[in-house]
Amino acid sequence: MKRYVLRRVALALPTLFFVSVIVFAMMRMMPGDVVTRMVEGHAYAPTLDALRKDLGLDRPMYVQYADWIGGILTRGDFGRSYWTRQPIIDEFLRRFPVTLELALLTIVVSVVIGVGVGIVSAARQDTVSDYTGRVLAILALSVPYFGLAVLVVVLPSIWFKWTPVWTYVSFTTDPLENLKIMAVPALVFGVTRAGPIMRIMRSALLDVLRQEYIRTAWSKGLSERRIILRHALKNALIPVISLIGLQMPLYIGGSVIIEAIFRLPGVGLFFFEALGKLDYPVVQSVNLIIAAMVVGLNLLIDLSYAFLDPRIRYR
Amino acid sequence: MSKVATTAVGTVPRVEAVAPPARRWYVDVWVQMVLRKPLGTLGAVIVLLMLLAAVFADVVSPYAYAQTSLRERFVSMNASHWLGTDQLGRDLLTRLMYGARISLYVGFGAVALGSVLATLVGVLSAYFGGRADLWMQRGVDAWMAFPPLLLLMSIMSLLGPSAGNITLVLGAAFGIQNSRIIRAVALSVKELTYVESARALGGGHVRITVGHILPNVLPTIIVVATTGLSTVILTEASLSFLGLGVPPPYPTWGGMLSLAGLDHMYQAPWLAIWPAVALSLAVFGFNMLGDALRDLLDPRLKGG
Repeated sequence: MKRYVLRRVALALPTLFFVSVIVFAMMRMMPGDVVTRMVEGHAYAPTLDALRKDLGLDRPMYVQYADWIGGILTRGDFGRSYWTRQPIIDEFLRRFPVTLELALLTIVVSVVIGVGVGIVSAARQDTVSDYTGRVLAILALSVPYFGLAVLVVVLPSIWFKWTPVWTYVSFTTDPLENLKIMAVPALVFGVTRAGPIMRIMRSALLDVLRQEYIRTAWSKGLSERRIILRHALKNALIPVISLIGLQMPLYIGGSVIIEAIFRLPGVGLFFFEALGKLDYPVVQSVNLIIAAMVVGLNLLIDLSYAFLDPRIRYR
Repeated sequence: MSKVATTAVGTVPRVEAVAPPARRWYVDVWVQMVLRKPLGTLGAVIVLLMLLAAVFADVVSPYAYAQTSLRERFVSMNASHWLGTDQLGRDLLTRLMYGARISLYVGFGAVALGSVLATLVGVLSAYFGGRADLWMQRGVDAWMAFPPLLLLMSIMSLLGPSAGNITLVLGAAFGIQNSRIIRAVALSVKELTYVESARALGGGHVRITVGHILPNVLPTIIVVATTGLSTVILTEASLSFLGLGVPPPYPTWGGMLSLAGLDHMYQAPWLAIWPAVALSLAVFGFNMLGDALRDLLDPRLKGG
């Protein structure tokens, strides 16, 4: 087990290195217009060269890279925003709980719907409820979440004079009010993400239900409810969990759009606004932090499989 | 060389003799589709309609996509404007048809580009193996660690919005992501005995990869490309939605839905409804068509 863990961690390190090189290289391809805009539009410095020097952009590229990575590794310093000169990591940590809450609520919504419909669909294979469930899943897959979000914002306000709440309240100040605000975005996003979960739940459960230990359970005279919920579901959930792990980047990426539509002050909105202002240090570091989180999460998932299933360790 | 190759090929007709194909496979796929896959056929019809609308947009519609008419702002559905007009009096149906052009242009362009890239990376990585494979795959790992939307948004804001750029960027992303699948298939093909015998006969790298591995990877490439089309179209729409796609006044479905027009949608809800419907229909069509093609072409890849 120890060797396996070491090998997996060793494989993650070059990945993280490449991640940092990709974001850094990308940001260095930038056309110089942010400096121009800051000087000419907002008089941040007397001349372009003075501002470049001030922001450290006059140094050779490898020095800038070493400085950026060195700061992160030694001081946990992810750099500062060009415009506000505030440390990026502070703003990131302040906003991260919003995005995390949105992601968790979305996962809850999509799992409840996806697993629930998936179970019914598999247990009643080729009946009306099965077909209804599958059609719903296909529809959920086809409707773009931002389209649904726009419709949910616009249509109820016209038809029922109801609008989602716009002023954000954090969970710690008022949990109930906070959940009221998060409910609509999480529902919209969760419903559109339930499709794949439902499809994989259905096929996994169908697979498990044909295995011999299930036949044994039937012949023992157990109720259908007990067989499905106690015996079959546990094994059928494994692919569902790995699907959710694999889709984590989609949940985080989608939160940019959801946060922009529902005006939630999360990391996604921070990123989106930074892009609009060409605030490259922010874009670069937020990309890096989130990608590193994904790499770490995947590592954890892999290690937990190895922990649960000894066969994997020796592959 | 040629003698042994003939014997190897010579075994194939015996298999065919059992079930002689009545038609060429690319014809047969569509016949099977109509006979056995009603949803796939529906998808194909939707895609065909979308293609026709895109190709003949300027023939069918009496309006130009940017033709404003301030006397007819926010007109709801009527005989001259079937789906109504927007805040500048532009005909919504016309704009949707031109929008289909962008979706299809970017969708097919990016998928074609991406398929070539995926094949190149996947086959080479699998064929050479060893250290080259290890480093290439860490690069792919690194790319896949990013939430796709974040990465694409960053690159598009650097390159600047245009149809060419978005096709290029989506194609690169599609290629890198799917190289994994191609690599996995190429790895298994590489181990087959006929590849080994080709090598024993002195076949060079090019001959083996292009002549022997590629034809066997081709069905997978077709499947990956068709099932990927809907994702690419959806991603293009999300980037246009955020204002990072094809710039106005050229209409895109994502752009028509976008936040910039939100205030107008309260006055004219059809401005939100129809682009959303068009986009959902397109994604549905490509999804169903892709799924059915996958079932017919490559049952191994069948998912949930």
